[in-house]
Amino acid sequence: MSDARLSELIDRAFDHRGYVTLQRRDGSTLVGYVYNRGASHLDVLDEAARQRLQIPLSEIADIAFTGEDAARKAQQIWERRKGALEPRDTPAWGGWKESGPLLLVVALERELRSVARALGVKAQRGRVRMRTARSDVIACAIGMGGGSRRLIRDEAPRLVVSCGFSGALDAGLAPGALVLATAVRDENGDVVAAPDPQRKAAAAALRGLSFFEGELACATEVATTPAEKRALARPGTLAVDMESYPAARAAAEAGIPWVGLRAVVDTVDSSLPAFVRESEDRHLRGAFRHALTGPRAVAQLIRLGSAARRAGDALELGLRRLVPLLATAEAHP
Amino acid sequence: MGIPAAQMLAVSRYVVKQRLAGRERYPLVLMLEPLFRCNLSCTGCGKIQYPVQILKKNLSVEDCIHASGECGAPVVSIAGGEPLLHPQIAEIARELTARKRFVYLCTNALLLESKLDLFQPSAYLSFSVHMDGPRPQHDRSVCREGVYDVAVSAIRAALARGFRVTTNTTLFDGADPEQMRRFFDDMMELGVEGMMISPGYSYDKAPDQEHFLRRERSHKLFSSMLESPRRSWRFNQSPLFLQFLMGKRDFECTPWGNPTYNVFGWQRPCYLLQDGYAKTFRELMEETNWSAYGHKSGNPRCQDCMVHCGFEPTAVRATFDSPRAMGATIAAMLTGRL
Repeated sequence: MSDARLSELIDRAFDHRGYVTLQRRDGSTLVGYVYNRGASHLDVLDEAARQRLQIPLSEIADIAFTGEDAARKAQQIWERRKGALEPRDTPAWGGWKESGPLLLVVALERELRSVARALGVKAQRGRVRMRTARSDVIACAIGMGGGSRRLIRDEAPRLVVSCGFSGALDAGLAPGALVLATAVRDENGDVVAAPDPQRKAAAAALRGLSFFEGELACATEVATTPAEKRALARPGTLAVDMESYPAARAAAEAGIPWVGLRAVVDTVDSSLPAFVRESEDRHLRGAFRHALTGPRAVAQLIRLGSAARRAGDALELGLRRLVPLLATAEAHP
Repeated sequence: MGIPAAQMLAVSRYVVKQRLAGRERYPLVLMLEPLFRCNLSCTGCGKIQYPVQILKKNLSVEDCIHASGECGAPVVSIAGGEPLLHPQIAEIARELTARKRFVYLCTNALLLESKLDLFQPSAYLSFSVHMDGPRPQHDRSVCREGVYDVAVSAIRAALARGFRVTTNTTLFDGADPEQMRRFFDDMMELGVEGMMISPGYSYDKAPDQEHFLRRERSHKLFSSMLESPRRSWRFNQSPLFLQFLMGKRDFECTPWGNPTYNVFGWQRPCYLLQDGYAKTFRELMEETNWSAYGHKSGNPRCQDCMVHCGFEPTAVRATFDSPRAMGATIAAMLTGRL
């Protein structure tokens, strides 16, 4: 091939917004994108757009325009639909949707603070949002017994982690024990089983910590007395909370895998003061009222505060292990 | 004028420092393109037409910080592509602002409202929202219905959360000066900090090749639009550049003023033309044949160009070149007259 012809091909290749195939004088070929040219070489990005290669012009025998010219294609599309706009409901991501975030659902602001500490960020307005190297992570406090269905719909997560505090239903569980849900059961007996791959991955992440695997019961009101807790207990049911079942049900119906992780605050034989049934913003006032009823109440509050701290620390520790692993595993199935 | 005093002061200090150091060529704004992919296909955009594997590429946070350090410009305009599609865009913005760079994050705002949580309001961070005019004109320009409304809602949300918000508007042939004046009123009423306007560059890779403005048409359009500007309008630009757009001043391009860094490297010679790439900023500055670009060079690709990335740096330089130009700038800032 003449120098003039090669020079013309190089000009075209440099202008071409698509892949070309360079045929080398030794008979080998290279498919890539020509993004730069020097006096005696071409700079090429390989077909996978990973490797930059510098090809001496003296090695090039021919250039074939084997890839579609993206600019020409855009102009043809424009010509075809001239004047017609894309509809209003075209996805905002425009075909580049990232895989959804890892969504952590908690009930209380206090639980959210444990999540925020585990993630190394601050909670703002009942929400934590951050990005790991591979994934967005969102955590929301939805209130006691709060519905997570709308949150799951809005955030379109790829994995839901329902986490927070719980009451023990098994005598072997002390404050600060972690429970990884194998299933969740509501008061009517409806059971949602935890998806195996995510549960096994979570169990692997928690290895080395004190944690138990078993069923979680889900109540519509805080179980404050030993009698209420025993009424909820079934063989294999380890703890009770108020949010895991709605979260698991909403996730399962949306086809999204979920993990349930709970930290025990109160043992099966202990009682909680009645104010814990009120909304979180009334807890301080409730605790003050409760303390005024006598020294026993004060002692109960001190024990509860200590147990809640242990549960918060355990939850933080568990999530420190769990979140990086789930974020990575899900981003790279 | 829609530029905060602290930012003006920082940029002025930087310019004076460059001049005292005797540097003939220095950058003012780094145009950082951390990705090429976009969630819109605008008629006049020639930036995003690449094979899919290249569109999927992202500059890393480290790449972006290194480029900003190499360049040293006090202002970084993060463009693309749509920067909010970059998985680490918040980290990039955070790292740059931590280094006291004034960051303009250019966005079409389709994802802004849902991603606001990722950012922290800062005097160093401004969302520069793409708004090409009133609702029908903007939606036509971005080829999608409803984008104007989404952008307005996102601007309101960002302002309510304490973020700095500006707009950037590219104008094409057929823009109606009266409608544009009303659009400026609307944007000011929304509460944006300032507006940036520029004629579009005639990218030969853009889908629509029929509506790029030629020089004379640009003068006419900008003169009608900016004649008797309302005092409420705040432009995030040098008044001398606006006067240049109106045909009241003649400037030559400063192609090295807004150097561009993207997934291929340092783009030669400017944000608009692609005559290859340099591996380092120094190589870009020292080994580019700058005399081959600009109106006077005779380069046909530069003849109709009046885009801010080439002429805003000239306007800033002119301001510092003569007391008269400095006086004209101050007068325009004080009186609002152009």
